[in-house]
Amino acid sequence: MTITKIKFENFTAFKKLDIRPSPGINVLVGANGTGKTHLMKVAYAACDISKTQVDFAEKLIRVYLPSGRALGRLVKRHNVSTRGSAEVYRDTLKLRISFSNHSTVPDSATVTGAKKWTLSPIESVYIPVKEMLSNAPGFRSLYSQREVHFEEIYADILDRAYRPALRGPVDRDRKKLLTNLQKLIDGKVTIKDEEFFLRNKQGNLEFTLLAEGMRKLGLLWLLIQNGTLLNGSVLFWDEPETNLNPKLFGPLIEILFELQRMGVQVFLATHDYVILKEIDLRKKDGDKVLFHSLYRDDGTGEIQCHSTSEYLQIHPNAIAETFADLYNREVKRSLGEIAR
Amino acid sequence: MTVLREGTLYLTLPHGVQGRKFDDRNHGLSHCMKAVDFVVEEPDRVLFIEFKDPDHPHANPDDRKAFLEELLIGGKDDDLVRKYRDSFIYRWAENAAEKPISYCVLIAASRLDEAMLLARTEGLKRKLPAEGPASGAWQRQIVAGCSVFNLETWNRHLPQYPVARAAP
Repeated sequence: MTITKIKFENFTAFKKLDIRPSPGINVLVGANGTGKTHLMKVAYAACDISKTQVDFAEKLIRVYLPSGRALGRLVKRHNVSTRGSAEVYRDTLKLRISFSNHSTVPDSATVTGAKKWTLSPIESVYIPVKEMLSNAPGFRSLYSQREVHFEEIYADILDRAYRPALRGPVDRDRKKLLTNLQKLIDGKVTIKDEEFFLRNKQGNLEFTLLAEGMRKLGLLWLLIQNGTLLNGSVLFWDEPETNLNPKLFGPLIEILFELQRMGVQVFLATHDYVILKEIDLRKKDGDKVLFHSLYRDDGTGEIQCHSTSEYLQIHPNAIAETFADLYNREVKRSLGEIAR
Repeated sequence: MTVLREGTLYLTLPHGVQGRKFDDRNHGLSHCMKAVDFVVEEPDRVLFIEFKDPDHPHANPDDRKAFLEELLIGGKDDDLVRKYRDSFIYRWAENAAEKPISYCVLIAASRLDEAMLLARTEGLKRKLPAEGPASGAWQRQIVAGCSVFNLETWNRHLPQYPVARAAP
């Protein structure tokens, strides 16, 4: 059961927003400060508590890390007392939280729908912008014992990466994906004493010595190998392009399409033209892709969202607009007075 | 007012500007030299103009897709470069290569966005080449400038040379 709707009212950057995601790949685009990461964090927190049964308010605090752990700071800032709310839907299941900007503790929030929500747990993964595997040894124990100022997504991704491999034979689709990834990273990932290594013919190479982009692909390999990314899981990936050579974007997007075909719902936030274009070019009949363009309305200044399945209809498209500007200047430089 | 035609695309020249179809039967060397579609003479410069028309109403969708895929990986660059250089040599032999020449390429494909046009413009500039060797041995450029357009950006940047599509 995939995420079918996300709704906000006076929540973080959003005054009012209602997004209907695709069960396939959801691509979030928009300038900085238009709430792409906020949107993914809410949906991820909702998915995560369906398994862990942690209180939704508590999870939001851990994932957003508002100053002083004050929940009320997640209400959109106004000069007057305000209540904020977030709703996440999976078909008929609805998880809702609302709280006032004065809320300091999780108990002051009103959460509804959590009981039914947790009866249908859903697997989820959030891959943050910063790579964590190379800093993994000792981090989890430190995080569980001390107040470390890290959003919980960083500890969560390590929990998932450390999971042991699935029992039983690997099915054909997963085997194909793992083989493709192994070609890209030139090896397999192993874990020894909480430390990650890339193992190939040359031996074991610790992740700290591996290019950061490769570590990300290694993480994806682990998540597929240990069954975290399976039919029915939800993958959130914030800026997959970070530290990755653009030549690897194509194979990476192909893997995301394969995951989608296996039944994984994908959310990714990107600032990168090549990522967008690879999705457009690699999309086949039957693939489900929705582009969500987040932007500030010229009149109200509030964040709005325009969703479309067609690449050319992404509007506004801050990424393409940047290229349009570069192109216009290049034409003027190349042709001089001929170009108007 | 001169109107030049390539397939279903019509290029209108402004008053007082001379232009001609360059790759027609008057060329006479098409068995051994390639040629751009049009040569346009302005008072102090020349435009070499090449049209490619993957969006032609009668184009086979598979051919259109194959053309664009090849174009995007630079597979059409060599053909565009050859057309330019052969036309340049032809004009040089005519003793008509004194004015600076700019190369304007129209790829009539609505799917081409500015990022792709920018990439193809840069690819073409590198291969023509727009710059001489690092030694500085070249005393003059073989091309003053070049740009790749789609129909929309052509008409936006070159409104004095409007291109329109007529019914086939």
